[in-house]
Amino acid sequence: MGPDFVKTICPYCGTGCGLILTVRDGRVVGCQPDRGHPVSKGTLCIKGWSAGEFIHHPDRLTTPLLKKGGRFVDISWDEAIDVLVGRLGEVAERHGAGAVGGLCSARCTNEENYLFQKLIRRGFGSNNVDHCARLCHGPTVAAMGRALGSGAMTNSLADFANTDFILAVGSNAAETFPVAMGEIYRAREKGARLVVIDPRTTEMARNADLHLTLRPGTDIPLFNGMMHHLLANGLADQTFIDQRTEGLAALAAHLDDWAPERAATVCGVAPELIRQVAEDYARAPAAMIVFCMGITQHVCGTANVFAVCNLALMCGQVGRPQAGICPLRGQCNVQGACDMGGLPNVLPGYQKVDDDRVRARFEAQWGGSLPAEPGLTVTAAMAAAESPIRAAYIMGENPVMSDPDQRHTIEFLKRLDFLVVQDIFPTDTTRLADLVLPAACFAEKEGTFTNTERRVQRLRKAVDPPGDARDDLTILCRVGQALGLDFSYADSAAVMDEIASLTPSYGGIRYGRLNAGGLQWPCPDTNHPGTAVLHQEQFARGRGLFVVPDYQPPREMPDERYPLVLITGRMFCHYHTGTMTRRSPSLQREVDRPFVEVNPQDAQGRGICDGDRIRVETRRGAIMTTARVVPKVAAGTVFAAFHFNEAPADALTNNALDPVSEVPEFKACAAQIVREATCPNP
Amino acid sequence: MTLDTVRGMARDILEHQTADGVLGLAGDEDGVAPRVFDKADALAALVLEPKWVLAKIALSVLVQTPESYRLAVVCRGCDERALVELGKRHRLDPGRLHMIGVACSAAQAQRCLCRRPWPSRVDAGEKAAGADLSRSDLVRQYLGGERAVRLAKWQEVFSRCIKCYGCRNACPVCHCESCKLEDRVWTAPGEIAPDMLTFHLVRAMHVADACVACGACQEACPVGIPLMLLQLPLRNALQRSYQYDAGTEAERLSPLLANYIDAPAQEIALPDWTDSIEETSWDLIS
Amino acid sequence: MTACVTEKTIANRPQDGADPKILVFACRWCSGIGADEAGRQRLPMPAGFRCVPVECAAGVDPDVILKAFSAGAEGVAVLGCHLDGCRYNRANHAAAKRMALLTTLLETVGIGADRLLTSFGTAHEGHQFAALMRRFSQRIAALSALTCRVTKTDPVLGGWGDDA
Repeated sequence: MGPDFVKTICPYCGTGCGLILTVRDGRVVGCQPDRGHPVSKGTLCIKGWSAGEFIHHPDRLTTPLLKKGGRFVDISWDEAIDVLVGRLGEVAERHGAGAVGGLCSARCTNEENYLFQKLIRRGFGSNNVDHCARLCHGPTVAAMGRALGSGAMTNSLADFANTDFILAVGSNAAETFPVAMGEIYRAREKGARLVVIDPRTTEMARNADLHLTLRPGTDIPLFNGMMHHLLANGLADQTFIDQRTEGLAALAAHLDDWAPERAATVCGVAPELIRQVAEDYARAPAAMIVFCMGITQHVCGTANVFAVCNLALMCGQVGRPQAGICPLRGQCNVQGACDMGGLPNVLPGYQKVDDDRVRARFEAQWGGSLPAEPGLTVTAAMAAAESPIRAAYIMGENPVMSDPDQRHTIEFLKRLDFLVVQDIFPTDTTRLADLVLPAACFAEKEGTFTNTERRVQRLRKAVDPPGDARDDLTILCRVGQALGLDFSYADSAAVMDEIASLTPSYGGIRYGRLNAGGLQWPCPDTNHPGTAVLHQEQFARGRGLFVVPDYQPPREMPDERYPLVLITGRMFCHYHTGTMTRRSPSLQREVDRPFVEVNPQDAQGRGICDGDRIRVETRRGAIMTTARVVPKVAAGTVFAAFHFNEAPADALTNNALDPVSEVPEFKACAAQIVREATCPNP
Repeated sequence: MTLDTVRGMARDILEHQTADGVLGLAGDEDGVAPRVFDKADALAALVLEPKWVLAKIALSVLVQTPESYRLAVVCRGCDERALVELGKRHRLDPGRLHMIGVACSAAQAQRCLCRRPWPSRVDAGEKAAGADLSRSDLVRQYLGGERAVRLAKWQEVFSRCIKCYGCRNACPVCHCESCKLEDRVWTAPGEIAPDMLTFHLVRAMHVADACVACGACQEACPVGIPLMLLQLPLRNALQRSYQYDAGTEAERLSPLLANYIDAPAQEIALPDWTDSIEETSWDLIS
Repeated sequence: MTACVTEKTIANRPQDGADPKILVFACRWCSGIGADEAGRQRLPMPAGFRCVPVECAAGVDPDVILKAFSAGAEGVAVLGCHLDGCRYNRANHAAAKRMALLTTLLETVGIGADRLLTSFGTAHEGHQFAALMRRFSQRIAALSALTCRVTKTDPVLGGWGDDA
């Protein structure tokens, strides 16, 4: 008679807060924070509180849909699986295995991502597996993997509360990771200092002790200036450098040219501030660096992350509790999707696909051969003039809204011979699909998510999926079986057992051990308590490596035609492509229409008033939106949130790629704004 | 000991069908979560820690069940006061509720800054002394200093607000059908941090005479705003002027709602025009 | 045309010498008439206050007063009938109780109890009204400017907007 209370994990950002869903008569009727959760400790942000609102939304996909003559018709699951296997197989046969690509999902569980990459690799013989880490922390995985040996956050979120100094670069955690930000406020109350480096006066910058407003995309000069000062004045941690790192000589030679005065002319931060922040960071007993998309989404994203790592290594501020490098991962399971091998060059556990021994081990367990050649990244596949990809299987992603240069993305997807999209709601991407498969949302399945601090946590099923929708695990198993693979798993726990047997860092993870609070990988065996702080005795690669970061200004600089710099990003009440949040009434009540933030100085020169309709143009396209005239964006920049499909910011963004990780430059492109009409309701 | 007593009472209630379900906390290998126990043999999972305000959950259970459904609730002092307050405000029918009163420990009381850590009828646990607020640094910081210092301190914490609405959502006595915090007349949608005056102080005023000091708002705040301390001087003022403590007397309406002829304002400054500008000294803490 | 700024700061302090902005809610049966009386007699009064007639002081929601402060008022006065002479029985007692509580809240956060004036008078007391307004205005003027909007006003250091 009474309701059930189901403990699960929030489906939005990577903090991985605990939720308790109230379930009555097979429906989720309430959502509240979990007081006993080790990360969130009974708190949630506005998105978490309303996480239950979209579950029973009438728009949910409830039956497989096949496009016939330009219209979608309902079909049975048997037919859907036949079509999927038949058409993808046909493409693979005609154009070779490399013509099939798959996008797994940072919104799906570890088990589903594991099966998905196994399906693409084993079933279609293709390494073209990727997901949206390619649009966010790809450079982090690449650069931290090279410099330290592991691309993950080095410490736990709880470490923030007791650290002495926090340097936040290109992160607006106050809006995008509010619960993690709570730990930073706790540290500040105990006397820690927070310094924010961001071109925008974000919520985080507003609540900081010091805010450095640099020019967009000039992080490397700023960091070089800091490191030059430290080396020149003997403030570097020489013991740490000698004992635990290598490669400083090359970096030191490179830094000779980067005195703070020169850095200041490039990045626009006063030299004395560069010196002061460098000293404060180096002298703090324990200091943490937080960084996010402001670092990675640039053409020199990987180099940016190298610069961050260099600073931490130089000061010995890594590999200890309360001192580390913390990339905040943006989605509930983006860490897990990377761990599970949802990337074209690695198998689960970041084991290189072109390593014969690794492949042999997987081949033995998976019972069949695996392709040796690393696959294409999604951004490279789309950017190529003659893309080899002819058919794609997309699970729980919406590239039309999330990838740069929307017109180009749509053309690419339209050109495909066959596109199958598996999602919970109709999206701009499902519209272009040939086959749409209805999937289950977070409250309708079992599985695990890995949060930003590497904590593997259990998701629990609260209700059944609507109509004929099935959870992704079931769908993938059916597809796998139709392809003749041995995809017969009793449940998601059985998949986790297989993951543990192949992935050293997940070696000790069993469902039975995850119940209260989860486990932080690396957890190599079943008696291991998990690891809160990485690289304590030595770095995962042995010695920490200094890499010379190669500075490149943003690909597109402002000019006469497009005099402003457009920055894109997230805001507190919506999430990414808005598929879920824009169907949640309490979030829509906060913001229900797109907007662009404009500095009063830029607005005045163009006769733009707060609330006016404006057109934002770049070389890729134009959108109509509303102006918010606020001083928090610096003069010369405009900021657009990318959640709104009626005015998609990604119609404007540049698909210039970071050469190493192939992450696009979402954070800077040249733009112009024009006033269209006055504010409809002043 | 305390736990055994509560489990025993819950068993009796279910076996004698005094109530159809017992709302409490269940602890098993999955950790702790609220649960409505409707079978006596499941009661081995019943636990009392951590402190978890159940009054709002009790209300939602009562709202969603038929009128014949009776619910027993494992109540701490604050839960009971919140349920009494909701009963007085006609949000629930007290006749459908059965309370199992549990007293909190002195340590818990000090953590919650609770001066009344027991329910009206203590069924389990020992009545412990209430918190001594003068020992709390937090109280001194936010309520102790000069006016300008206090203003700076409060502005600093409110500027962290990310408008999660957790304080409102978690509050057991916050019960309006439509909320001013969602109305654009008072709070600009889509903007953070919200205005201190029209968001935080409006919320504080709305629950001023219903606040039972359960601390749910503060515990739900991701950025650590000490919201209970905002409420404390208001509770003190009501106590001083009317000897009114929300939730302790089921029959007595709030002096702000009460018929003003029966409960005229006492001991508060009610000056006539000629002498209304008098400096008064303020004691916010006791 | 000038661009408007949504990040509203409380309207700046009026220029030197000007009287502070004060919003007065006066009941239309007693104190409101008293206010008119003061005006009719051309009694010396500060220029910075505006009077909003209300049916009864008990009808003034504390939220409205908070909104007034948020919108730029430096002080708010709520004026009703004499305590035993209320048009609506003893409704002004309700107002007194509520305002006392709101005053406590304003004091708690450090805005200060003396920015909210609760007072009771009657229709023929124009002189008293004028005197009260003068004293209230003086008291507010002596306080430092109210910046309640929770924006941080520290200067941003090293901005790249500055050196261009």
